[in-house]
Amino acid sequence: MTREVAEVLISGIALGSVYAVMSVGMTLVYGVSRVFNFAYGSFYIWGAYLAWLLFGAFSGMSYPAVFAIVIPVMFLFGLGVERGVCAPLRRKAAWQALTMMSTLGLALFLDNTALIAFGPHKKSLPPLLKGTLNVGGFVVSTHEMVTLAIAISIMVGIGLFLERTRLGMKMRAVAQDGVGARIVGIQTNRVFSYAFALSTALAAIAGVLLAPKYFMYPQGGWTILIKAWIVVAFGGLGSVKGTIYSAFILGIAEAFVGWHFGLQWPMVFWFALMLATLAIRPRGLFGTGE
Amino acid sequence: MLTKVRLMKLDREGITLLVMLAVLLLLPAYFHNDQYIMHILIMCLIYGVVAGGWDFMMGYAGIFTFGQFGFFAIGAYASGMLTLYAGVPTPLGILLAGLITAGVGIVIGLPCLRLRGAYIALVTFAFHLILVPLINSDLGRAIGTGGTYGLLDIPPLAAGFSVAAKVPWYYTLLGVAFLSFFAIYRITRSSIGLAFVSLRDSEPLAMSLGVDAYKHKLMVFGISAFLTGVIGAFYAHYTGIVSARILGLDIFLMVMVMLVIGGMGRFPGAAIGAFIVTFLSEALRPLEEYRLFIFGAIVVAVIVLLPEGLMGVLFPAGRVGPGERFGRFIRQTFTRQLGKKSIEK
Repeated sequence: MTREVAEVLISGIALGSVYAVMSVGMTLVYGVSRVFNFAYGSFYIWGAYLAWLLFGAFSGMSYPAVFAIVIPVMFLFGLGVERGVCAPLRRKAAWQALTMMSTLGLALFLDNTALIAFGPHKKSLPPLLKGTLNVGGFVVSTHEMVTLAIAISIMVGIGLFLERTRLGMKMRAVAQDGVGARIVGIQTNRVFSYAFALSTALAAIAGVLLAPKYFMYPQGGWTILIKAWIVVAFGGLGSVKGTIYSAFILGIAEAFVGWHFGLQWPMVFWFALMLATLAIRPRGLFGTGE
Repeated sequence: MLTKVRLMKLDREGITLLVMLAVLLLLPAYFHNDQYIMHILIMCLIYGVVAGGWDFMMGYAGIFTFGQFGFFAIGAYASGMLTLYAGVPTPLGILLAGLITAGVGIVIGLPCLRLRGAYIALVTFAFHLILVPLINSDLGRAIGTGGTYGLLDIPPLAAGFSVAAKVPWYYTLLGVAFLSFFAIYRITRSSIGLAFVSLRDSEPLAMSLGVDAYKHKLMVFGISAFLTGVIGAFYAHYTGIVSARILGLDIFLMVMVMLVIGGMGRFPGAAIGAFIVTFLSEALRPLEEYRLFIFGAIVVAVIVLLPEGLMGVLFPAGRVGPGERFGRFIRQTFTRQLGKKSIEK
């Protein structure tokens, strides 16, 4: 019994790390620019497709090389999207609603481009590392452990970036008070663009990391978008720390609820937990003011 | 007497609505033999009301709701189930469906009162998404949703209202759509509507002036859900079939496109958008898989280039646009004609 519980806990933690990688980019862009990006799931799936293309085009492609191409490409793509689709709307009165809708249109466009280009069938990527590991008597797949390790290093990296670098500090300043940041000479528009581009790259990394286990198909981004959305809202929109806590809480909760009640229940439990939390704390667990 | 005078005083949005009504009343004269065109026109009216109710919430009250199709589905299922299982007469079923949906709308609105922005979008969209598995599950089947097959053989509105009877359906739904839009028009011009707009533009200021935010937001949810539920019920009786497919993401996005193209918060842009988008969607149908791809590109382009939609082009804020100029031209021509006649006399 305890052994079984421990196994479920381990799979829950692995799941939590996956959700953390998925959601951290979304919360970052919302925290800095208050843009809710509906195309986030499409960026995720396009990251995976890009990796798939690279694996197909060059035989003997390794994961470090794939990441070295996917990350800058998606970063630039995100930069272009922000400049072209989000930035022009910022001057309008109802810009929040407008950006939600324009990113929704973009999601539709990207998903259907993927459908035309790659077809409706599920595709998969090779695992990061093959085989299994023996951790303290438990057998876990190496791929999951590598994902966990990468996820943790990404989170640590984001934390250091926000704390230590100039751009990271600018992002936090803009997140706290956009007008104040502009007064002290921060070019907020540029910070918005970089935050958006960074979030696009993070979504793409998540896509590459998860594609070996969860497969990819053109509409696959939507499940990710909704899950990341709940993770982010539960933890507090805009709070990176809250998102990471909530990813692990929800990941472990999903593992236990799925194990005890059956696989169709975790989502219901997620919604119930989220609604209850929002009823008590409207800004999520760690959310700060609007 | 006073209300009569007020009703006569229409502004340009009201006149746009009446012009649309006049055109729509005449359309069957040309198309009554073409079942296909009539069907598209009917769907335009149905989606137009959904878009109108959505615009009422999002454009006027500033509530980012994504739950409108949930209301549509609840209205459709409620009326379908009431008439199928309980033998309720159809018109009564439609009315009850509207009231049930309004109740659901208020329940959905309750957790949204304390939330803002993207959180409301999340809660309402979660409501939409949770309906699909609920309808298809064993629980849904136990309630009587018919599971994945959906509801079949829903009775028509009345004798003579089969799916093939396009012209009576068209005029019925035109009446319903016009009444819905007229109701929205009247509400947005009343003191209640002013309260909605003030809450949208600055909630703290509106509340400091004594506007009850909770009451008005719940009213928005109730009214919008009622209108959407009623049109959902009409949809169920028109097609005779309802399944969870009406909650599909493609229809959801299409109606959102209507809102964008028509102009959000620019009454009656949603109705104009409904006609443009439905016909555009039909015109693009031969392109099959490229359709949604083009749609997505259009949405992005329209939002970036024309953020206020078609109504923003016709009646731009702060200056005289083509719509205004056309109105002046008509007015001048008429007054000139009248002037001549009075001189001749």
